[in-house]
Amino acid sequence: MPEVLVSESDFNVGEEYQKLCVDLPGAGAVVTFVGRVRDLNEGNEIATLELQHYPGMTETLIQEIIDQAKERWDIDRTRVIHRVGPLQPADQIVFVGVASAHRKEAFAAAEFIMDYLKTKATFWKKESSGSDAKWLEMKDSDRAATERWQDDT
Amino acid sequence: MVKVLLFGRLGELDSRGSISIELGDSIQTVADIRKLLSEENPILGKALAEPQNLIALNQNIVNADHNLSAGDELAFLPPVTGG
Repeated sequence: MPEVLVSESDFNVGEEYQKLCVDLPGAGAVVTFVGRVRDLNEGNEIATLELQHYPGMTETLIQEIIDQAKERWDIDRTRVIHRVGPLQPADQIVFVGVASAHRKEAFAAAEFIMDYLKTKATFWKKESSGSDAKWLEMKDSDRAATERWQDDT
Repeated sequence: MVKVLLFGRLGELDSRGSISIELGDSIQTVADIRKLLSEENPILGKALAEPQNLIALNQNIVNADHNLSAGDELAFLPPVTGG
């Protein structure tokens, strides 16, 4: 199973969880995270969220993030799925799954991967509500979340 | 020829679907291409000059002084917003 998938298609969390567990009897902790499209962002009602990415580079960058997580923590298996194309409120956007012997590593690695995905991987979101459409800006809080991992190395 | 890709809001500042630029005496680096695009379209030029943008050459991050070769793929990347 490839560790990285960028796709227009939706994913099934139950199936992804099963795939993370296959042949890993020693993995006592499996963390799965799902990011979804909110119906409100900074007070604006969202009708559609369009996700653009840079094919090829995106997959490489996500793989680099996973490889960094593997260097920092003892983790057995990782899976990242990121959707692209038009999405609606409540749609799933992103899946991060980490299997490890212990929960501390699994939680930390999943959070690290999510924080880095938000600030390093080549995705761009465009939000539409009614006749208005705008490209989103990177949030300072996301930038700070990534920098936090650089401080405690 | 160098293929130029503009992502996110940068893409909407250029009406062409795709951009190809011929290298020459005055166009040898990333900065030269940025200058040429700015001369053709000052609004795009202003957006490209923002320091938070990243530049990818054949999908690797480079600086603006990097030299170009025929067949290169050059991409201008505004700050990302995935996840």
